[in-house]
Amino acid sequence: MSGGPTQQVGEAERREIEAFVFHEARLADTSQYGEWEALVTEDMHYWVPAGPALGDPAAGLSYINDNRARLATRIRQLQTGKRHSQTPASPMCRAVTNVEARRAGDGSGGDGGDGGDGGGDEYVVTATQVVYELAVQSTARLQLWPGRVTYRLRRVDGMLRMAAKTVELVTASEPQPNLTFLL
Amino acid sequence: MHAYHELVGADQVHGSLYGDPGVFAEEMRQIFTRGWVFVGHESEVAEPGQWVTRRIGREPMILVRDRSEALNVLANRCSHRGTALCWEHRGRDSSFQCTYHAWNFGLDGALRAVPYPAGFEKDHAELGLDRAGQVESYRGFVFANLDGSAGPLSGHLGVGGTDMIDRLCDLSPSDSITLGPNWLGHAVGSNWKMWPESDNDGYHLNWVHASMVSSAPDTYYQETVLGGETGNQSLAVDWGEGHVELDFRPSYRRELAWLGASRDKVPGYCAALEQARGVEAAGRLLWDGPPHGLIFPNLFLGELNIAIIEPVAPDRMVQWHTAVQLEGVDESFNRRLLRQSEAAMGPGAFIVPDDAVTAERMQLAMSGLGVHDAGVRRGWVDMSRGLGREERRADGRRAALISDETTNRGFWRQYRTVMAR
Ligand code: FES
Ligand SMILES: [Fe+2]
Repeated sequence: MSGGPTQQVGEAERREIEAFVFHEARLADTSQYGEWEALVTEDMHYWVPAGPALGDPAAGLSYINDNRARLATRIRQLQTGKRHSQTPASPMCRAVTNVEARRAGDGSGGDGGDGGDGGGDEYVVTATQVVYELAVQSTARLQLWPGRVTYRLRRVDGMLRMAAKTVELVTASEPQPNLTFLL
Repeated sequence: MHAYHELVGADQVHGSLYGDPGVFAEEMRQIFTRGWVFVGHESEVAEPGQWVTRRIGREPMILVRDRSEALNVLANRCSHRGTALCWEHRGRDSSFQCTYHAWNFGLDGALRAVPYPAGFEKDHAELGLDRAGQVESYRGFVFANLDGSAGPLSGHLGVGGTDMIDRLCDLSPSDSITLGPNWLGHAVGSNWKMWPESDNDGYHLNWVHASMVSSAPDTYYQETVLGGETGNQSLAVDWGEGHVELDFRPSYRRELAWLGASRDKVPGYCAALEQARGVEAAGRLLWDGPPHGLIFPNLFLGELNIAIIEPVAPDRMVQWHTAVQLEGVDESFNRRLLRQSEAAMGPGAFIVPDDAVTAERMQLAMSGLGVHDAGVRRGWVDMSRGLGREERRADGRRAALISDETTNRGFWRQYRTVMAR
């Protein structure tokens, strides 16, 4: 993961990347949909596969496999206020740890979705994430969502933006409860 | 046994049936052990040795194709001391070997070898795996009847079951469908019966799915179910035998509405279908599209999705689903079906999670009820909508407006019949 010398990131970049990841996590935790959507690029791919994130997402069936247009629909739906499975929004907090970052550009980025060679402006970031979610809409059960996250971050007009987020749930092979909040 | 004829009326159902553990146990026997249930599709076990694990009721089973190409539905339970033989969702093996004392079973369930055989006096023939009493397929859909007492599958499927499967398979230029590459499970904190109900409820769509309708306005739900009580021609249909359908055909205003496409978007598919069926028949199929209905008790044909309703506990169930894939069409067509499935079905989709939360709210509301409440008029749920305007059609179907509860009554009528038998 640390990559060869050309893929290493400096201390300042690393701090910036972590700040982005934690900011994104807070917006997702607090269901600030519009603010969260402002973090994504026009080619964003949001992917929650039903197993390891291997191969072409288009060839399988995933829990979530949103291109940018479909992600926009997801956000719009949440913003209607009538998305019953998230009305009210689940109280959540997530721990994001084990953050590792490298510069993309070796063609082995964590998500095949954008296909671009990000060169010096793109990063592949992996982290471990555990979301604690209370299903207040119905069962009031505390649900745990442990998984490995891979982000593809890109610098756009000087700001980091998210071009892909892939969440490989530890429980991916087993049935999932409603997953309509932002993972 | 509870007095089911007193708990299920013509237009009402008692809420205890959704949560009482005794009722659940009796359902597993009366419906899932004594009746036909869907277990899988032949394409999942196309090659000898391929197997998938399933449940019939709560009993863990293996669907496997053996060397003679026959389909077996075997208990996933070693006949020695009861260890599970398979613990993954699918696989391929030349035999089943138990990990406890290494008994080895053929793909047909026969006991083939045991270590240190001298200590056993029983004949191996007595020690094969338990198996479903009957296994039959219809156009690739594999059904099993655990206790072997349910009579032929054709009697169970009746007119409605065969008609719905036919209409789905006829959309494939090769006459048969295959399934998507994987199943997704949706775990819901509700009784399993909320799913035959909600999957086939034409009354809820404007409310439960309001957020989807307003944020994805190009969906074909616009023409099939919206437009007010009498604003469209779709029908709620009870086929008998517990098989029910929301028949969208009369509402489609164009070809391929069910695909959200037109001929120019899927020319390869249209050409292949015309080649296979002739221009006229293909044209009709392209208008009519696939069915949306339940084959009692656990198979939901959701247009181009296949779902299995799996009871887990009185207040828990899993709806497994995958996409339909057609043979003899280009890959881009089947990919379209995968994307359509991801949008509609499963825990992260735009439609079904809102049904799931609704089912969980029903469960929450009915959790305190016992069967004894029925007699004191507490806890009944109403299912009377449109009862007075149902029509018996010439083809035997009972039909009413799409928003009428004909489908739900059809499920419960069969439920009462089999639970009280
Ligand atoms: S339990 Fe399977 S061999 Fe003993
Ligand atoms: Fe629904």
